[in-house]
Parts: sequence; structure tokens; C-alpha cells
Amino acid sequence: MVYNSNGALREAVHEIHDYIRENLYFNRSDLALKGKGYNSALLLSLMTGLRKGKALIIGEPGLGKTTSAEYVCCLLYRMPLGTIWGSEVAGHPEQTEEKIIGRPDLGRLNLGEEVVVWSHFAMLPVKIVDEINRLPETKQSMILDGVDRGNWEYLNDAIINREYCLFATANYQDRGTNTIIAPLVDRFDLMVESKHPGANLAYMIGSRGPATSTLRDEELEGEFHKTLAERSPYEVRMEKLELLCERFGEMIRRTAQVRSLSRTERETIRNQMDQIHFDLDSNAFLRMVISELSFCHRFGQKRSHETCEEGCHFTGYVCNGIRNCISNRFPTSVRSMAQAIAWFMGDQAVGIEHLKAVLPYTLAHRLQWKEEVVAQREKEPRNDPLPIHMAKECVRDMHRRYMEQAPQVKNALAVACQVAQGASMEPVQGDHPLFWEIRRDLGEEVLEP
Amino acid sequence: MKNPFEDFGSLSVERKELPLERIVRAREEVMERMVHGYLKLVEEEVKDLVWLVEHSRVVKAYSAAVKSIRELHYDSDDIEEFCAELDSSNRIPYMISGPAGIYLSALVNHAQEDRIVLPLKDYQRAFHFVGYRLPDGKTLILQGDVGDFVGAGLSGGRLVVEGSVGNWCGAGMLKGEIQVMENSGQNTGEWMRGGEIHVEGRIRSVGKTLFGGRIFQRGKLVMPQETDPDV
Repeated sequence: MVYNSNGALREAVHEIHDYIRENLYFNRSDLALKGKGYNSALLLSLMTGLRKGKALIIGEPGLGKTTSAEYVCCLLYRMPLGTIWGSEVAGHPEQTEEKIIGRPDLGRLNLGEEVVVWSHFAMLPVKIVDEINRLPETKQSMILDGVDRGNWEYLNDAIINREYCLFATANYQDRGTNTIIAPLVDRFDLMVESKHPGANLAYMIGSRGPATSTLRDEELEGEFHKTLAERSPYEVRMEKLELLCERFGEMIRRTAQVRSLSRTERETIRNQMDQIHFDLDSNAFLRMVISELSFCHRFGQKRSHETCEEGCHFTGYVCNGIRNCISNRFPTSVRSMAQAIAWFMGDQAVGIEHLKAVLPYTLAHRLQWKEEVVAQREKEPRNDPLPIHMAKECVRDMHRRYMEQAPQVKNALAVACQVAQGASMEPVQGDHPLFWEIRRDLGEEVLEP
Repeated sequence: MKNPFEDFGSLSVERKELPLERIVRAREEVMERMVHGYLKLVEEEVKDLVWLVEHSRVVKAYSAAVKSIRELHYDSDDIEEFCAELDSSNRIPYMISGPAGIYLSALVNHAQEDRIVLPLKDYQRAFHFVGYRLPDGKTLILQGDVGDFVGAGLSGGRLVVEGSVGNWCGAGMLKGEIQVMENSGQNTGEWMRGGEIHVEGRIRSVGKTLFGGRIFQRGKLVMPQETDPDV
């Protein structure tokens, strides 16, 4: 059954969310939207899956980082848990390209033919990397490069994923972990923590027997495996796989009374999300956020190796507290996630509330705070890990500044539009970096304040 | 290149200006009109950049000055700024002391304030004819030395000069009072018909023809008296 209308599809996604929350992933609400509480790890994983995104899920061992991603992928992509488990890449230092992407078909190689046997990880649209920070940086890079472009290359062969999402989990630093270097971590759309659910919810886990049994079917999993192991072209296998997915979808609809989504439905949802526009406030607020995270009056822009001047005029803004410049992937991630949240809430446009909800999670892993700023904040009382806590505080500050200056900022942008169209007007001046950026864009020589 | 502000094209632009900007602009407009009026006066009254002091020309220049400022709204700060413009600005290509003083007097006489103080001591040039026809009820205080014909034709006002005056101070004054804190030049009070001139310093000479009024030096009446008018 295909749900084509916006409302029916949204209902199906809400049903998936509620089913996971009530049966599979018990956790507290830590994100409020329109007065309703959601769990950030679950909600944002769901949005990542729908948006073909990349999520980094952090947390203590055994707190459901991988399992939450598995449940989300299982229901969004109609794949049995057993198939998903079989495609997961486990992070450890000995992991090889042959296990992650593909290997030569040894039988055919003996006959002098170079044929690649692709890994399930490379072929399936659902990609889960468990404990990515236990992989050496070269392997992390290999996975993220592949996921960035959607194509996987081995020997002289390549496959292209038309649809995919990535969930990578990471434990906190210990002796066995490597760092995820900044350019790699930037490729994740968001970072979220899978938290401990608290004593009372934790007590309920497992009390109703193995909840995962409804999302498994050994016979179907065998058929998935057989299809993936076929020697037919990749596209043909994917078409066959979609038929199996439909059968699995029907099965869980019968057994678990939960709807799931077909490839066409996911595509329809994405199209609907893409059509959701940003209202003027969220548009201006996002510009303001980007300007605070990239602006440097003295050096033209933020650069990781350049430090702020003592007594800089812009000391009160976020640019003064961070070392790096925000990347161009950031607005893409924010746009994608904010549209997804707006769609999920049934709103016609992305507003400030949607932005405020996603910004901390799209920023947390991308901000490199100065040591003194971290030192000031690390002992503060909080419910989130430090990077997310600091990102939330920073978004709160930027939002406060926006609310104080919203009419001036929008007016400055409106004037800038007219100036860019050739009107003879003076660009609006103001203290916030965005005003300076506007004047730069209009070709003005901006002097030291 | 694509216009990055296109999304805001539909938003109507508000030109919100700071109160200071509005004040500055209003002042600039007033100054513009004052300068324009003065230059027009010079153009009409001064031929070949020479201006001869003749009673009829003074009267005519004053009438023209009054006409040009009739609809101008200004205050003593504007007059003070105009003095500075006269002294050193590039906006005024030629400052001819006589017409400048007459124009200044017209401004003072038609200002809303009753008491006007003009700090003139830092200016390079001397202003003539300041206080011309100062009317009843007005007090003009000039800080610093001034030029000739100061307080000429005074018409009931009170003129205080905190410095010295040139020649012909109070010439033809009708009524009112001129108080000079330092010295006065030659022909002080010439043709005066009424009022008083008080000089605290030296009086180079008093006018030969006085139709009335009194001149005091350091509180002592020097005119009218039977003695030699040269002091």
C-alpha cells in the first residue's frame, strides 16, 4: 500500500516513531517541539534516515546507540534486523577495505577475471558503523568519502548507491579509541547522544521479552542474503531487494501493527521536505548564526591557526570563543534537518523553532572551542555531554541576539537586496558581524570598528 | 552573480534613522539655506567685490537679508555655526565683512531667542555691522573683538561686547544700550539719536555729530558735555 498524501506519510512516520519509542527504545524526552517532548536521539535518527543523512551517535557503551539506529533503519527501509546486522561495520583497528567495501571474487580471479564481491555495507542503503572511533583515521575517511559521494570503488569496479544513510556510533575517549579528525567529523550532519534512560525506564527494558523478535524473519533474512550474494548487476539485485522489502513491510504490518515505508514513499517524503521553504525569520537567523561562526574582521574569516586579537571589538560574539571556521556542510545539514523537522511537525515553513531544535545537534561536533572557553563551562550543571551543552548555550545566545535585532537584520537584508539590484541606497549599519558581512557582499570597504 | 539577498526582496524597506542623524540633517539644511541666502545677498549687493558703506546700501542689503531668511527656522546655534562658516568654510568663497555682518544682524534680529551669545574671539576675521538694528527686547552678547559699525542703527536692544569694537560703534543708533567691555575706535556714537553707549576702556574718539543719546566711559558721562569731545 502506498501512502501518497503528505498527511498519510507523516502519520506513517509518526507511527514508526511512536512504535520504536513505546516498544523498542525507552528513553526520556530531551527535546520539546510545539509543546510535545521527544527524545533527540530517536527523533533525529529518524530524520537522518529520511533525509539520507549522516548521524554520529555518541554515548556510554550499552546505552542503545547502535540499536536505536538499527530500529530506525529497519522500519524506515523495511529491512529485517538480521540483514542490517549483517551489513554493519564494526570499528576495530584491524578492519580492512576488503571487509568494508568489497573484495575480489577469488574463484573468478583464479580464472583470470577481476570481479568484485561487494560488501553488504556498500550495497545496502542502510549503513551502520559501530564504534567508528575505534577505526584508524584512514578507514574512517574511506567510509565517509564513500558515503559523501554515494559511490564505492574497488579495483576497477564501482557501484553507486541511489539512496543511503549513515549512522556511526562512538564511545567516549578511552585507550582503544582514535580521534575522529575535524574534516571527518564535519561530514556528519549531526551529533546526538543516546543517554541513559533513567532507573525507572531502564528497569522496564527486557521486561517484556526480546522486543526485536517482531523485526526479524529468518526466512526473509536468508532471501535477502541470497539476493545480495547473487552475481547479477547491482541495480538488478536492488530491484529484487525492494520486492523482499515489501514482503518484510507486509509482515511487520501484520505482526507488529506498524507501518513502514517503501522506496517510493521515502522519495515522496524527501520531495515534500525539499519543498518546505524557510520563513524570513529563520532565513535571517541562520544567516546570523553562520556569520557569527565564520566572521573575523581582522583576518577576513575564521581560520583554525589564527588567533583573535586581544580586545577585539567582536569579543562578545561566538567567533571569539571558537578556533575554527564553520564549513559549508553546516548550512546544508541545518537546512536538511530543519526541513525534516518542519515536515514531521506538519508545518508549511521552517521557522525559528525548527532551527533552534536542530542547530545544537548540527553544531556540537563542528565547533572547536578555545580552551579557556571550555574551562569556563565544563563544570556547569548540565544534562548533555559538554559539546552539545556548549552548542545549546551558544544557540541560545545567538537566538537572544537575533530576537533583539530581528527587525534591523531583516531590514538590512531587504536594503541589501535592493542595493544588489542597483538601487542607490546606503547599506544598513550595525554591530553584529552579519551587518559587516552584508556590506562586504555589496563590495564596500569595511573599516576597522 | 546571484543576488544572495533575493529572499528579502519582497520585504518593504524601512529607513529607520537615528535621532542624531535627523538632527544633523536638519541643521545641514538650515546651514545650506543660510549660506545660499548670504551668497545671493553678496551677488546682488556687491559689485566687483567692493562694498561701499552708504546708508541706502546698508538699508537695502538689510532688507534683502531679511527677505531671504523670512521662512527659515533656526536658532542661536545655527547663527553661531554660520559665523564659523563665514570665518573658515570652503562653502563661502568670499566673505565680505559688511554684508556678512548685516546678514548676521538680520539673523539675530529675527531669531526666536531673546538672548543670543556669539563667541567670536577665535575667528580670524572681524565682523562689521554686528548688532545692526538690534530691536527692543533682544540682548546680543559678542564674545571677543568685533569690527566697525557695531550696533549701528540699534533699535532698542542691548548689545554687550566682551572685547573691543572698531570705528563708528553705535552709529545712528535710535535707542537701546551698547556696552563695550574694552576699547572703542573712532567716531563712536556718530549720528546717534538716542540710547546709551558704555565703554569700559579707552574711547579713541566720539562722533562729531550726535543728535541725542549718551556716551559713558568707565561710568562717567562723556557725551553730551561741554568739553572737547576727543578723550
